Amino acid sequence: MNAVLIRCGVVALLLLFAASCGGPPGAPPSEVIVARTADLPQGPADAAWRHAPVYRAELLLQDMVEPRLIEASTSLVSVRAMTDGSEIAFQLDWKDDTRDDLPSPGRFSDACAVQLPVGISADVPAPQMGEPGRAVEISFWRATWQASLDGRPDDIRAIHPGATVDHYPFEAAGLEPGSKDRAAMRARYSPARALGNVMEGPRERAVEDLLAEGPGSLTRAESQRSDGSGRRSDDGWQVMIRRPLSEALTANGRGQIAFAVWQGAAGEVGARKMRTGWVPIAIEEGS
Amino acid sequence: MARVYNWQIRREMSYWYGESRPARQFAAVFDINKCIACQTCTLACKTTWTSGKGQEYMLWNNVESKPYGFYPLGWDVNLLDKLGPQRWSGGRFEGRTLFEAAEAGERVLGWRPEEIDYANPNVGEDDCAGAIENGAHLQVPHMAWFYYLARICNHCTYPGCLASCPRGSIYKRPEDGIVLVDQGRCRGYQECVKACPYKKVFFNPMTGTSEKCIACFPKLETGLQPQCFVNCIGKIRMAGWVSRPSEAREDNPIDYLVHVRKLALPLFPQWGLEPNVYYIPPIHAPRRYLEQMFGPGVEQAIDTYRKAHRDKDLAGLLELFGSTEKVVPRWKRKGELIFGQDEKGREIVRVPMTEPVVIRSRFDVAHGVVRTNCP
Repeated sequence: MNAVLIRCGVVALLLLFAASCGGPPGAPPSEVIVARTADLPQGPADAAWRHAPVYRAELLLQDMVEPRLIEASTSLVSVRAMTDGSEIAFQLDWKDDTRDDLPSPGRFSDACAVQLPVGISADVPAPQMGEPGRAVEISFWRATWQASLDGRPDDIRAIHPGATVDHYPFEAAGLEPGSKDRAAMRARYSPARALGNVMEGPRERAVEDLLAEGPGSLTRAESQRSDGSGRRSDDGWQVMIRRPLSEALTANGRGQIAFAVWQGAAGEVGARKMRTGWVPIAIEEGS
Repeated sequence: MARVYNWQIRREMSYWYGESRPARQFAAVFDINKCIACQTCTLACKTTWTSGKGQEYMLWNNVESKPYGFYPLGWDVNLLDKLGPQRWSGGRFEGRTLFEAAEAGERVLGWRPEEIDYANPNVGEDDCAGAIENGAHLQVPHMAWFYYLARICNHCTYPGCLASCPRGSIYKRPEDGIVLVDQGRCRGYQECVKACPYKKVFFNPMTGTSEKCIACFPKLETGLQPQCFVNCIGKIRMAGWVSRPSEAREDNPIDYLVHVRKLALPLFPQWGLEPNVYYIPPIHAPRRYLEQMFGPGVEQAIDTYRKAHRDKDLAGLLELFGSTEKVVPRWKRKGELIFGQDEKGREIVRVPMTEPVVIRSRFDVAHGVVRTNCP
């Protein structure tokens, strides 16, 4: 009995040691270590990523708030991070058997996100989207957006190749192509786009900056500073997300981060996701 | 979950939010017996609201043949099957509502249609239940039957869509009870599509948001009935405002039909959403089927409807259907005339109990010609 307790104590001490200093030599890092570089990688498959250590983030079910995810899907996301001193780039790599990048009724997109606390404080807000008065900032990548950026036409036939359309009122002969009247008529039948809520369709970035103060409070950030791109790997997705360094990382070189992955084929969307708790993140020492 | 009162099932039930009723509640009565499934309502809505990209498949208004018509496929039977047999006791529902039967991790018991379920909006059209054997002749009640069910969003008092949205992107307007999806806030999670038992929220793949019937609120705000109402050539529809039973007014057309005469019934009241489109049930379909769809008031409603021709108030009020584009919040009968009035009792429209019949003489003296019926 005593021997078991002692053994447990030793394991706990080792884990504590690993958590505080990045782990013993040779062991996989227990925190996200951000490699320094003069130039950030240009994309998710850039060879420069090999200079950054891999952090293997184990994913948990989001089963705290409704709607919950009941069946676990993606178990692991491999994370690499690099900084040039002002921006930070992440490479997220996970297994996913199916490409889900078509928006349609009953279909959902593959996606991933990184989450950081806003500001600097001794403790962190709740890892599930922050809490009231204690915001988190999120950089969110979605496969449907990537497909639009990669050239999928803004046309229903790009989603349903067999679709036939008799007529759209904004394509009436009396409305000059490119005219204000035509644009106004089109906006009338597309209220979300008219309001600037472009959840699908032509866009400039595959990554969106969001703020949240608890579940259900996700809001588009006023300033869109994140960018990135994703590509299908041999067995899943490889995504690069690039954004300014957070305040905590800039000031202390250390902070906390969380990750989330959505698998469209498993019906994952919104709160139905695989996610981590807070994970320590530190910029590697040296110049 | 909060506890709220649902008068359609005559009991308290669980709901995601507390009871908060609007100042007045948009409502409608559809007389199924008059519908011929011409789909003019469907097209009126389609051309007005859903002619955009990504809205091609959307039918905020549709008319389907029951029992074999569905849009999307199996919208009602799938859910009935999932919920399982439930029980009414008298006028009180003793079973579980969709909120009370929600599965682990869910806010509402629902199911998610697949793309293919939207592929056949006219499936089952004019298909009747049962085979017609050789030598059969028409009997009453019909040995084989079908009826047309015109459907829009029910602008429920306890909307499933609203309860299911984790972002609070769906709201019920406090001034008129219309349920809307905030197109500036929706992120297209489709939880509402899954949760709405009537499947009247649609995901738009081109905008990435979900959209639904808006009860033509820009028209309602100016005192006009929605497009699907005023374009109905069968004059089966009347829009207005429904009160709670305790506040029902005899001079409110909707209250009179729903509460006073109990002629118009909600669609699947047992699901617990307190839907606000009320149907005068078809008189020729099997009672058990109708009771499943409209609740235990079917027998009484059909009996009242069959006798309506001897009832000047009821027959007169039904004459007001389709008589004006304006919403008629008050009505009264004076002898052989029925008056539609505004809130202050000012006349909006008057209709006779019986349309006058004019028989013209065969010879037109003024023009010196014999009148003929020309095609």
